[in-house]
Amino acid sequence: MHDIRVPFGDILKRQLELAEKNYQKLTDRNVRGIGVMGAIGSGKTSLILALAERLRARGATVGAIAGDVAGGDDHKRFTSAGLVSASLNTGDDCHLDAHRVGHALEQFPLDKVGVLFIENVGNLVCPADFPLGTQADLVVVSVTEGDDMVRKHPKIFTQTDVVAINKIDLAEAVGVNPQTLVTDYRALNPHGRAVLTDARSGRGIDELLSALNL
Amino acid sequence: MHEYSLAHALLQGLLDHLEAEPVQGTITQVQVRKGELVILSEEALCEAWRILVEGTPLAGSELSLERVPSRLSCASCGYDGPARYIGEESGWHMAIPVLACPRCGARVEVLAGKELAIVGLTLEMQDAPPSGAGPRAAPEPPADKPEAEAH
Repeated sequence: MHDIRVPFGDILKRQLELAEKNYQKLTDRNVRGIGVMGAIGSGKTSLILALAERLRARGATVGAIAGDVAGGDDHKRFTSAGLVSASLNTGDDCHLDAHRVGHALEQFPLDKVGVLFIENVGNLVCPADFPLGTQADLVVVSVTEGDDMVRKHPKIFTQTDVVAINKIDLAEAVGVNPQTLVTDYRALNPHGRAVLTDARSGRGIDELLSALNL
Repeated sequence: MHEYSLAHALLQGLLDHLEAEPVQGTITQVQVRKGELVILSEEALCEAWRILVEGTPLAGSELSLERVPSRLSCASCGYDGPARYIGEESGWHMAIPVLACPRCGARVEVLAGKELAIVGLTLEMQDAPPSGAGPRAAPEPPADKPEAEAH
């Protein structure tokens, strides 16, 4: 047996380099990119629509990239609501990555938007390993998923500074205390900000915009 | 869930590297450093590797993973060292590094814990003489030449 060292690159560092290119592109075009992550059905799309509505009422221009394994359903929802939108299908992959987003940004009319939401594939695990180059990131977790979701997926919460605890209007119906999610998140991420939201009624939307520096 | 794509990226990178800088012998083990903040199943990564290397010059090789703990740097108080962990004793399912300064609580820069990189290879030298492979491989004295004759 013979051991040798190989000067081989860190493959996740390469992802970071691609993300930095996206970050620079968005910054140069005066676009604030917001990455939105969360499990399937947590309410990412509805929350983006609620945030966009409030931003547009203030005169901002808003766009969205709808990341999904397949289909253009979320893209249609964004377009129907009047957002500049693009569909980004991953085929088989369970998360977006900076390379894919970089290609999407090449096609996207960045001059028409001041805020660009990039909605990740529904997944509370993998997206944390793949920075996209956004200026801020948001994880959406809904009370209907249970009050143990932060404990079950701790790593994504340690690395994300804004969390929306969504569907707060349903908390009582499903017997979940939202404060359990808030307490768990604060233990993991003392600098993070958790905001209670209900995308449908608009509760918490202004506070969430403030947490995202929008 | 992305173990196959990461295993593929590791493999493709290594194959490219070996094409540019070939090594002698058969690669039996590939050493990988994996940061503890990287979210992937080590078992699934090793299994993905076993499947993906079939039909390549790395067929039969195994991954050996070294887990790299988090290392944090604090600009506020100058701390440079490991993270504080929330552990199983406080009801969590695993020990989780908290990405805030363990000394003053400020925001930190993560210096280590997010890497995934091949750092070394173990080779089996096909043409090496049998006596050159170390003490365990030292040949037995020939049966027709008892040790007593050497004295």
